[in-house]
Amino acid sequence: MRSPISWRPPATWHFFRSDDRLLLILAGAIVGICSGVAAVALNQSLIAVLGYLRPYRAYWWAFVLPAVGAALSSLFLNKIMREGAGHGVPEVIYSVSRYGGLMRFRSSFSRLISSCLTIGSGGSAGPEAPIVMSGSAIGSNIARLLGLNDRQRVTLVGCGAAGAISAIFNAPIAGLIFAMEIILGEWAASNLIPIAIAAVAGTEISHLLQGKQIPFSHHHFNIGAVDIVACIGLAVFTALASIMLTRAIRTIHHQADGIQLPSWLKAAGGGCAVGLIGLYLPMVLGEGYHAIREMMEGRFAPGIGLVFLAVLAKIMATALTLGSGGSGGIFAPCLVIGSFAGLTYHRALAYLWPGVDWVQEGCFVLLGMAGLVSGILQAPLTGIFLIVEITGGYEVILPLIIVSAISTTICHYMEPASFYLKDLVEKGQLMRPGTDARVLADLEVHELLETDCITVHTDMLLRDFVDIVKQSRRNLFPVEDQSGQFQGMIYMDDIRPYLFDPLMYDAVLVGQLMNPRVETVSPDDDVVEVLERMDAEGLFNMPVVANHRFRGMISKSTLLDQYRKELMVQTYHLNR
Amino acid sequence: MYSQLFHIFRNTPLGRETFLQSLYFCNQVDTTPVVYIPEFIKFLMYFDNDVVQVDLDESYLTDPATAEDHARILLDSANLKPNFFTPKNFTASTLPDIPTNFEFMCCPRSISDLSSKIGLGYIGPRVRRIVTSARFPVLITSAVYKPWTRLVVFFGGSANALNALKLGMRIARQTGMPLDIFTQAENRSREDYAAIIRDHHMEDELERLQQRWIFFDEGKFETNLYAVPHDALVILGAYGHGLIRNLVFGSKMENIQSTIPNNLLIVGPNYTAGI
Repeated sequence: MRSPISWRPPATWHFFRSDDRLLLILAGAIVGICSGVAAVALNQSLIAVLGYLRPYRAYWWAFVLPAVGAALSSLFLNKIMREGAGHGVPEVIYSVSRYGGLMRFRSSFSRLISSCLTIGSGGSAGPEAPIVMSGSAIGSNIARLLGLNDRQRVTLVGCGAAGAISAIFNAPIAGLIFAMEIILGEWAASNLIPIAIAAVAGTEISHLLQGKQIPFSHHHFNIGAVDIVACIGLAVFTALASIMLTRAIRTIHHQADGIQLPSWLKAAGGGCAVGLIGLYLPMVLGEGYHAIREMMEGRFAPGIGLVFLAVLAKIMATALTLGSGGSGGIFAPCLVIGSFAGLTYHRALAYLWPGVDWVQEGCFVLLGMAGLVSGILQAPLTGIFLIVEITGGYEVILPLIIVSAISTTICHYMEPASFYLKDLVEKGQLMRPGTDARVLADLEVHELLETDCITVHTDMLLRDFVDIVKQSRRNLFPVEDQSGQFQGMIYMDDIRPYLFDPLMYDAVLVGQLMNPRVETVSPDDDVVEVLERMDAEGLFNMPVVANHRFRGMISKSTLLDQYRKELMVQTYHLNR
Repeated sequence: MYSQLFHIFRNTPLGRETFLQSLYFCNQVDTTPVVYIPEFIKFLMYFDNDVVQVDLDESYLTDPATAEDHARILLDSANLKPNFFTPKNFTASTLPDIPTNFEFMCCPRSISDLSSKIGLGYIGPRVRRIVTSARFPVLITSAVYKPWTRLVVFFGGSANALNALKLGMRIARQTGMPLDIFTQAENRSREDYAAIIRDHHMEDELERLQQRWIFFDEGKFETNLYAVPHDALVILGAYGHGLIRNLVFGSKMENIQSTIPNNLLIVGPNYTAGI
């Protein structure tokens, strides 16, 4: 009996089957709206928590606030939501590169709450990575509901990330570029339109619910040739700060992993250390946008020494917060560290060459942010467009490009993988669609099995074997004993002299001719490892054996055939 | 055909019973057991269109030092080669990814909740998600190891039931055990059900394998379940009617598992069977 009410996923509707672009655009808009709402919810929650805790920050014991927030955040993630902790974005990239963007439903809200606890209490982290994870998980789960395939789901994950970044920064182009450059890692036209729609939807939702505000007000800068030349030095400075931040976070993370304490206690320890830093340098606490505004407007009073100290302190505070298990992202800390770096650099220039008519320090603050973001993410376009959009001015585009490009290049030279990709690259888990690693990862030994081999027995006479050779189209034969257990292989090249000597026909058994020491493959083996073994041994075929039984052959020619088919599937959308 | 059964080993007396049941199944259907001794309390299974996080009951981590030895002893006693699974991929450092390309998976009635809750009438939400998403059938074992000597397939005419019947026929061929079909009529005659089988060209093969067709056109379903032999492996489809109907009318599989204590081999809506 058919159910009176049945749900058929829209992906199976006739209307969308011939061309899925309209479906993806509609779904992208929905995902953009949902992730925009999530971003606004996180933003407003953060404002509320920060406002609630502000009066308590004046007390001497305020240094424990980040510790309590980090501990609660860790307990919430590990005990209530039972999620593995992490910065968020690497998990999204992992899911996109390995599992077609499949993400858990709980990820669509868990990081919102945990990051609100960490950042709201004063932890040095940003809300962007958690909101990217939430938006991406929303996209993934909407794709599941609509019954979309892997490629379409990946597009919606990108839509979620774009909608979230667009809404939280009020920056649709940065959202679009972030999704394409960092999350998806490819520039396919079929992805571009739905992601652009999602970015616009996220921005509009943010406008609707929070008003048309940009994080930092627009300023006019008179940039001269000397400033542009000086940008090169700033790029080097911000690249070094990026490397330092990346290494500090990873070092503290690895150190914390080695400590045998509950994760919430480690997070509390990190939070407590951040709180202590915050007692002396309060500008390092929280997301830190207030300090950036002051720097851009030229109202930041502390001298060059203190600003430089703030660069180091913010790096340490961020490393302690995120490395010890707090929940949050590195976007906002990068902006703050970049702005401190830019200000330090500008004041150093002004000190060394007081006679030069330098541009206002707000300009270098802005360039420093671009240098840090581009360096740590190794994504220059994201850095450039994010800064252009959040500051509302295009007149700095030329020095922005210079700083971003140089910073990215230096960082890439010193750290070949960006902060988000480093762990994935080290574990061999970064598999962008259409790459050799991804194609091979999607192939399995059982898909490559050739089962047209004729199996022979050890006690078979050569005469009988010759009859089988006549029927066979292959020049290799697996050999089994009477109980069906694999014993070895006969390769035609090895036994050719016997085949042309009829005197041997009734004197030699197959068991005497076979090669018992052949390299075998198990059906569970990784295709990459199988290929490496073939290359190392100079083999073109290998028998697949499981439970001592011959299952088939695997050959390089079949592998190449399947490889090509898989590559065509994975890159089909790039050619549309 | 080479096939594997995935088993998550629990180093407790209850886990031993479940494992013995898996090993018996493997020996009967010529399947290789793949044993996972969990190091972490949770793991992820990425299916075609769903990702399921399984949060194991704490008892799965009982005495890890002896777990592998215990599993090896049981594998040896069943004359099966030890094949232990070690996760290669991790979504997070304490969250391994478990492959989903096995041919069978063994689950107790619940793997996330305390084992004291396991009993008839209760299937954990994670086991339900796995059944719904998996391409493989799920072996849900009885609480105590009990070898089965015959097969019973529940056939209600749906696409899922047809898949269950195909699987039952395959296992009957492999094991040589008698195969019974159990049907509770639902506004259809016996001839209608026979026509469905005929339309799918399964009639001849079934005639060769089938011992009985137990057909009930009256009586309460739960009452009629008494006719299921106590020593049968029960094969059935699950959640084939969609979420809404299952929510409104209840799932037939849930009815069956709450009434009979037999070992169940459950075929979910994503399983595709070949005769």
